[in-house]
Amino acid sequence: MSPSPDESAPLFDISGLHYRYAGAQADALADLDLEVHEGEFVAVLGANGSGKSTLARLLGGLDRPTAARRALACGHDLLAGDGRMAARRDVGVLFQNPENQLVAQCVEDDVAFGLENLAWPATDIGRRVDEMLARFGLEALRLREPHMLSGGQKQRTALAGVIAVPRRVLVLDEPTAMLDPAGRDEVLHAVREMRAEGLAIVYITQEMDEAVGADRVVALERGTEAYTGDAGGLFTDASLVRRLGLGVPAAGELALALGKRGHGLPGLPLTMDELLDALGAAT
Amino acid sequence: MSGFQAVAGALPGAPGGPDAPGAAGMSLACGHVSFSYEEARAPIPAVRDVSFELRAGGSLALMGASGSGKSTLLQVVRGLDAPESGAVLLDGAAPTDAGYAALQREVGLVFQAPELQLFASTARDDVAFGPRRLGWPEERVTSAVDTALDVVGLPPARFAERHPYALSGGEQRRLALAGVLAMRPRLLLLDEPFVSLDPGTRRQLVEILHRLKAAGVTLLLATHDVDLAWALCDELLVLGEGRLVAAGPWDFSPDGGRLLAANRLREPFFVELWRRLGRDPQRAPRNAAEAAEALS
Repeated sequence: MSPSPDESAPLFDISGLHYRYAGAQADALADLDLEVHEGEFVAVLGANGSGKSTLARLLGGLDRPTAARRALACGHDLLAGDGRMAARRDVGVLFQNPENQLVAQCVEDDVAFGLENLAWPATDIGRRVDEMLARFGLEALRLREPHMLSGGQKQRTALAGVIAVPRRVLVLDEPTAMLDPAGRDEVLHAVREMRAEGLAIVYITQEMDEAVGADRVVALERGTEAYTGDAGGLFTDASLVRRLGLGVPAAGELALALGKRGHGLPGLPLTMDELLDALGAAT
Repeated sequence: MSGFQAVAGALPGAPGGPDAPGAAGMSLACGHVSFSYEEARAPIPAVRDVSFELRAGGSLALMGASGSGKSTLLQVVRGLDAPESGAVLLDGAAPTDAGYAALQREVGLVFQAPELQLFASTARDDVAFGPRRLGWPEERVTSAVDTALDVVGLPPARFAERHPYALSGGEQRRLALAGVLAMRPRLLLLDEPFVSLDPGTRRQLVEILHRLKAAGVTLLLATHDVDLAWALCDELLVLGEGRLVAAGPWDFSPDGGRLLAANRLREPFFVELWRRLGRDPQRAPRNAAEAAEALS
């Protein structure tokens, strides 16, 4: 589960990162450290305004950090203009609202957009786009206008476009927030597949159940790291969860409510299956 | 479509008016409402022939896939868009009836991401904007603003003079809600109010909505979140491509389950739990506290 002590440098190697919006009184990110290694799935949690989306923009090279001791993304220096340009190629960023990310007249053009910007040969683009459409189940929609798709289809199209360019790491900023339950499942399925293939993923979410099973959970509080560790360690610390404005998955909520009534379950179940096991063991 | 009759059958004989004792909420009925957006090529029907009723003080979750017409329906109910055909009845009154405009002013709509529409330089002025436009005397405006700020958990002593942009995202969302509540809506329409809120703020908002419900305010809640819809709403209305697919009490029979799946929805967590525990899903708890009580 924990990052293997391999020799390869971390994909994100961030230390003492600060970011302050123009005219703001305080830092949006303050003295933040973050390391993400190859193949890691890191869930980032935090209350509204804790700096999650700011972090996503900085990791993707879309904004310049105000200051940092070290800010490397795939070896590129995020403090330097050309480093940020290079980071944008290696780091794929997906935002919560796919509307902001879809630019072309049809789905296949949208998926091809990043590759065209990199001036890939047309035949290579064609092959890569076909591969992406197949992988995200978008073949039948290839000629549809993106704005006519459902939310889940839009988000899968945006994801296909982000992944079409070979990436080393993905930063996903609440990618399921706007989606209906089926669209959410579609995107989570696509994310699980990419994870299985060993792509490193930084996954920002307000859905606590989406953090369960992450290699590591990082919780932000006013722009700094308040917790790093596994999901269970965070969710069992009720006072920290409350302080950070977070919650626990529904299964855990029920277990805690039972505990308050003097019927505590063994451990803290975080999924439906774990809950059913724990309830079975308790009776 | 059988669900629609179920809603109609559940309606009390006469909806209570604004002054009826104990009837703070407003009843709503949509009859064959259609609305299309004009596009260059051809009008795209966004809401097609939708009919349903919601009793005063009732709570209805408006669900359906992205793009199924939920936001459009809320805008038509609020009167921001006039239906092309059909009618929206408020407390039984039709748009042609005297007093309809006054009833429309008692319908509050909280938009998606309403914090994007905050504009004043203090929280107080932002919340006061609506009441002032209603021409209320300043004293009444002040008391309405103070009450609304209290209801959403932004006590005026601490928050009234703050700049809206200096508030956190969750505080901004609640401030925008206060702006709608200050006008004392008897029917509250909410469009995806939980999206992007952190769990702590979500809990606060759920609590606020429970309090409004207890005070008799009628709720029409458009959301993708089946767990919160189940926690808050007595009944469910499902739209599919602008048409009413089902309306009425929640139905977790095999047919009801198929209907949810066909509309890109799923069963709420505690309903699935009850089914898997071999209990009656129709009597599933609405939240963790109820579930714990039932299992203790």
